[in-house]
Amino acid sequence: MDKEIRILAPESFRENLSRRAFLKAGTAAAGMAVVLAACGGSDDSSSDTTAAASDTTAAGSTDGLASGEWSRVINKSSGTLAMYTWGDYNDPELVGALADSELGVSMKVDYYASNEDLITKLSASNGQSGFDIVVPTGPYVPQMIEKGLLQKLDKTLLPNFVNLDTPYVSQPWDPNDEYVVCKDWGSAGFLYDTTKITRDLATWADCLDAAKNEASGNVAVIDAAWDFCGPYFWSEGKSANTTDAADLDAAEKFLVDELGPHIKAFDSYPSTKIAEGAYSLAVAWTGDARQAFSRIKDAGGNPEDWKWVLPGPKTQIFMDTYAIPTGAPNPEAAHAWINWNLIPEISIKDLSYHGYHTGMKNMDQLLSELAPTLEKPDMIFFSNEQVATMEPQEMNEALDRLVDILNKTKAKAGA
Amino acid sequence: MIWYALFFIVPIGFIIYYSFGTKDTTQLLPVDLTNLTTSNYSNVFDATFFQVFKATIRISITATLLCLVIGLPVAYLAAFKVSERWKAIILAAVVVPSFTSFLIRTVAWRIPLAPNGTLSKWLVDLGWIGPNGIQILETTTAVQIAIVYNYLGFMILPLFVALDRIDVRMREASKDLGAGRVATFFSVTLPLAGPGIIAGVLLTFIPMCGDYVTATILGGAKGNMIGSMIASQFSGAQNWPLGAAMAVLMIGAVLLTLAVGALLVWLLPRAFSLFAPVAERVRARSYARSAQAVEHGSAQTKLPFDPIVALMRTWAVLVMVFLFVPILLVILHSFNRSTSFTIWSGHTSLKWWSELFDGGSAWAMVVRFAVIIALAFVVRMVLTRTTSIARRRLNWVGPIGFAIAVVANGLLTDWYRDIFDFAGIGDAIRNSFIAALGATIIAVIIGGLAGVALARRPGRWATVFMAVVFLILVTPEIMDAIALATWFPRIQDIPVLGYPFTEGLGPFNGGVNKLWVGQSLYASAVVTLIVRARLAGLDESLEEAAADLGATPSRAFRQITLPLISSALVAGGLLSFTLCLDNAVISTLISEAGSTTFPVALLGATRSTIKPFWGVGAVILFAITMAALAFVAVVLRRSGSSSSDIAATLTGS
Repeated sequence: MDKEIRILAPESFRENLSRRAFLKAGTAAAGMAVVLAACGGSDDSSSDTTAAASDTTAAGSTDGLASGEWSRVINKSSGTLAMYTWGDYNDPELVGALADSELGVSMKVDYYASNEDLITKLSASNGQSGFDIVVPTGPYVPQMIEKGLLQKLDKTLLPNFVNLDTPYVSQPWDPNDEYVVCKDWGSAGFLYDTTKITRDLATWADCLDAAKNEASGNVAVIDAAWDFCGPYFWSEGKSANTTDAADLDAAEKFLVDELGPHIKAFDSYPSTKIAEGAYSLAVAWTGDARQAFSRIKDAGGNPEDWKWVLPGPKTQIFMDTYAIPTGAPNPEAAHAWINWNLIPEISIKDLSYHGYHTGMKNMDQLLSELAPTLEKPDMIFFSNEQVATMEPQEMNEALDRLVDILNKTKAKAGA
Repeated sequence: MIWYALFFIVPIGFIIYYSFGTKDTTQLLPVDLTNLTTSNYSNVFDATFFQVFKATIRISITATLLCLVIGLPVAYLAAFKVSERWKAIILAAVVVPSFTSFLIRTVAWRIPLAPNGTLSKWLVDLGWIGPNGIQILETTTAVQIAIVYNYLGFMILPLFVALDRIDVRMREASKDLGAGRVATFFSVTLPLAGPGIIAGVLLTFIPMCGDYVTATILGGAKGNMIGSMIASQFSGAQNWPLGAAMAVLMIGAVLLTLAVGALLVWLLPRAFSLFAPVAERVRARSYARSAQAVEHGSAQTKLPFDPIVALMRTWAVLVMVFLFVPILLVILHSFNRSTSFTIWSGHTSLKWWSELFDGGSAWAMVVRFAVIIALAFVVRMVLTRTTSIARRRLNWVGPIGFAIAVVANGLLTDWYRDIFDFAGIGDAIRNSFIAALGATIIAVIIGGLAGVALARRPGRWATVFMAVVFLILVTPEIMDAIALATWFPRIQDIPVLGYPFTEGLGPFNGGVNKLWVGQSLYASAVVTLIVRARLAGLDESLEEAAADLGATPSRAFRQITLPLISSALVAGGLLSFTLCLDNAVISTLISEAGSTTFPVALLGATRSTIKPFWGVGAVILFAITMAALAFVAVVLRRSGSSSSDIAATLTGS
């Protein structure tokens, strides 16, 4: 198999691959990934696990899904499993009753708001954080590995890994799939209230313009440096990963001075507050944006009043991953959890909740059989043309500057 | 002293040290200390950060004054104008809200204030406000309202205690001398209430300055406060030096404001004395008028309907509504059907209660619990009838039954795994109690010893020590939080000392031990003050007498001093427990996976959508706290304290 195939569909992830300086750890074993990517086989890497559970004990129905094609190993575990993750990022049933009954673990979940939060927490506790699972975004993985915050995965405990589709494994941040496993991936765009903003918005430039005009004072933006600054760069036709000093200066000038005073909140999960009526324009990650529609309905509002835009010319793509931190008290349960989440039925159940593509093989077939009534699929699955416009974050020296810009904007917005 | 040195002075010292460093994210501790610089300080002043500084101080001062203005009539009413019974009811009503989770109360403010909410729609329909509804959330106004709400109790209680202590005869004497009620209030009551006012101001103003929870939940971009800015420098931005500089400046700002306030308080009477002749004339006239009134048998004092008292009553009722509406909303919304706590689906439903609980075992537990309590009462009845054991002893049967019920139901061990489907919440509630109990015990021991030492062994050390205690009291919590959060990783590597924080002690893991230390810091300072105040009011002759009678110092301490300060210890303990149970700021920054408390978990959840089961969790936590308090109150009553005493001890006076 050629390496080309194995890279996440968006070319953009791959573009960055060559430039990554932190890949040295992975290069030695570049060939390894090929074996794991072999499609179809369910048993090649699970020989020494409790594979007896395969296929028969899978959660939910298996009707219609050709069983041979999927690996459905469940490794029973025990004790407590502490997960540190993003807010509202797992189906509560999976984390609650199902984890208890199917895996035998009782879950505890804590939340963080940004990758920086996660890294601070893990590094401040020096391997004593007590978490078993964390969910970093791809580009942050190398620095976490470098700081020794993550431990290597025991692939023999992850037989269901083969269920992941090739574009979502062997990512540049972990080319040999040693440390992380794809949880899901998504993008970001914006939502606006068509009763307040009557014109059609289609691009980031439109969005920023409306933010300064019709939506002034009712704008929510994502509270994470790169995600916050990206829209400006894209609206200018630039890359959000620019390190050019002039570009960064211009960004600071625009975001702090021009946009800052119009911002109502730095809110990475605006869906609830949209339903409360707090915003008329909100930048949001796709999953939360999708949930906004059901929350508006819950609150007695009219979801038709709101419009979702996946803006051009470019927008972001991110992949969040499951990883096990160094010093995790219950790594066995952590592996069991990750492996369990790679079972198609579980994965699709989770997907239906949070609204992000989980990277399973044969997604179309899975959906038609497991979740035929999924609402707003266009906010979860993107066409190749759309994906081609999505840019992943790149770790570079500009990030400090972006963090600085975000903080200055916060101060300005509050002034 | 060593304790404070280890967990307060040194960590704070490091923060000050960091504040001169530069950011370096490549290290585990992202601070480069090789090039010390003051640029962090100039950064704070340069940038718009300074705006946030000013806003924070402004919000806090306004809120403190509002608390005073709102709270004074209530405290006054409770102290002078109502019967003992109502006194207790008013006080209970003021205290009870502070036993609901601080965070969920704050979140609850989002419900009535939401632009799409029911209240907003009514107001729009009535035509009182514009078609966009209430536009308060995500502004300073929302933060201002909630902050007044959150700290009002801490103002009313000290005010009440101070007013309650005023000898009624003083006020009567003033009236006998012909002063009107206004004159009496300003020239007798208010000056005598001075210490209470100062205590109230300190208890509200300082925590407000460091509060970042309220601003984070309600403030949006506009209602930002310095606390959240410092916290984000430490976690999100990983710019510790800048955050440290901000924190140091914040302490400075707080001290400065307090100094200015103290100066004003000192100056005001003197400024008044400049106008003394004018005031004297006004007073004389009012005396004359009231004397006249008395002569004419004025109806003023005999009116069956006193407008001012009526006004105060109405006011107190309004304040109670203000205090309880968010809590009622929390309870209502725990029966919500929608997927978000703050959004009301329009129907009540048990959905989230059943989702949270494992129905069968939860009910079984409730039944077991009730049966044991009932048994205890049966035993008591039987014993009363058949034996001649003193009533006093029999009164203990109830509490003992309660304790047995708690233990037998595994409430101290694994109950949370059994009855909750979603282990996180049960775990968090349990951790909250363990952490708060441990911290309270530490605070009572350390604070008690320190208080005794301060009161009985004055000298240079005591002065230094007092200064440290004062510093702890005025240091905003966020500063302690970041200091400890950066301190623990350092001492973890030290043998012996680091041991409890990495390996844990017995069944309690390292995270819980950290929480004990962190939460007990402020609490122990409070206990110190209370104990010291209590002992300062008693002369030393009792202890001396004991010594003269040949008691060893340890025996004198055990048999004389300890009983003397026991009420202060109970008071301090209760206050500490409340403070620790609700502690979010310190706990968030130092907690670990195994020691997440309810406020910490909830604060994490507020970052995205808050599920209604958090409301359910808060209601349960509230119920358990009230049960525990009722238990304590019963025990206290057994030992013979009146409700007024309990209230007084609660505020530590």
